[in-house]
Amino acid sequence: MALSRKVSLSAGAKYKGGGPMLAWVLHRISGLGIIIFVTLHVIASFFTQQFGSDLGISINIIYESIYFQLFIVFCAIFHGVNGFRIIVLDIWPRLIRYQKESTWLEWFVILPLYGLTVFIMIQRFLEG
Amino acid sequence: MQVTLKIFRYNPEDNRKKHFDTFTVEAEPTDRILDLLERIKGTEDGTLGFRRACAHGVCGSDAIRINGVNRLACKVLVQDLKSRKVTIEPILGLPIEKDLIVDMEPFFDHYRSVMPYFVNDDPPPSKERLQSPEERERFDDTTKCILCAACSTSCPSFWVNDKYVGPAAIVNAHRFIFDSRDQAAAERLEILNEQFGVFRCHTIFNCTDACPRDIQVTQAIGEVKKAIIDRNLE
Repeated sequence: MALSRKVSLSAGAKYKGGGPMLAWVLHRISGLGIIIFVTLHVIASFFTQQFGSDLGISINIIYESIYFQLFIVFCAIFHGVNGFRIIVLDIWPRLIRYQKESTWLEWFVILPLYGLTVFIMIQRFLEG
Repeated sequence: MQVTLKIFRYNPEDNRKKHFDTFTVEAEPTDRILDLLERIKGTEDGTLGFRRACAHGVCGSDAIRINGVNRLACKVLVQDLKSRKVTIEPILGLPIEKDLIVDMEPFFDHYRSVMPYFVNDDPPPSKERLQSPEERERFDDTTKCILCAACSTSCPSFWVNDKYVGPAAIVNAHRFIFDSRDQAAAERLEILNEQFGVFRCHTIFNCTDACPRDIQVTQAIGEVKKAIIDRNLE
């Protein structure tokens, strides 16, 4: 009997797709990060406003922590810029031949934007 | 020089589960991976199963994963590899029949689903159906497909969903959609606009990297997406 066609997560992750595949994986992870953030926010607001519950405050502490904020800011910036790159390539398929350049351009936008944001966030965090 | 090959093994008639066997063979830098597989099968283990036919990158029979990436065994030289240790595995997303041999039938089912043949109901002219060089150039790239399945089986969207038609089927649809002599482009675009059609592509680019014929697969898929959108906006 033939072995199933199912591709395990570990088998897929071992495929050496290079930079573009990494961008796709990061796009998925950052999308999940944003969903988690929004979900936590909605749940916290619901419990705080409806029941005045401490549970909402506990959830607030999670997503307002500096580590979570640093993660979520990266998710939002990467997801936005990479998504925009994909939309541009989808609308103008002839640009797909420049996809490597588009990936460099993307990081050229993301890194200074994220670096500046992190700098301001940490500065404010240290100021209390 | 000596090259060590770690090869995926699976025999449905054997009680052993899937595993890897390791072979060390003498090789020249200009030997192809296919040559090494032939050497192992001929001198060390005659039960090793793999496909090959022309051995010159034309038939597309020997697509396998070499060090974690889809390639044709007959097109990769030992000197092209960074290491003297090579891991050989079957391509992903198709049922494994034996060792490196996969069941290609699901792949060909998707291929057939996009009508990969010329359709023109007009009576044939006395000579050939004329086409300008520019019109021919429009789909030149996608005529090079050899149906090796390296692109489709490198695609994460294909791995997780066996209903997705996959890059190879879209490339072969592209070949006829943009052929000025063909009359069934609208039908093909309709097929590819369905739930498991072209919009399952997430522009990951593994297919373009895997193609042994250097077809710009992702660009072809993008052009089909654009054609569907333009048609729907009309």
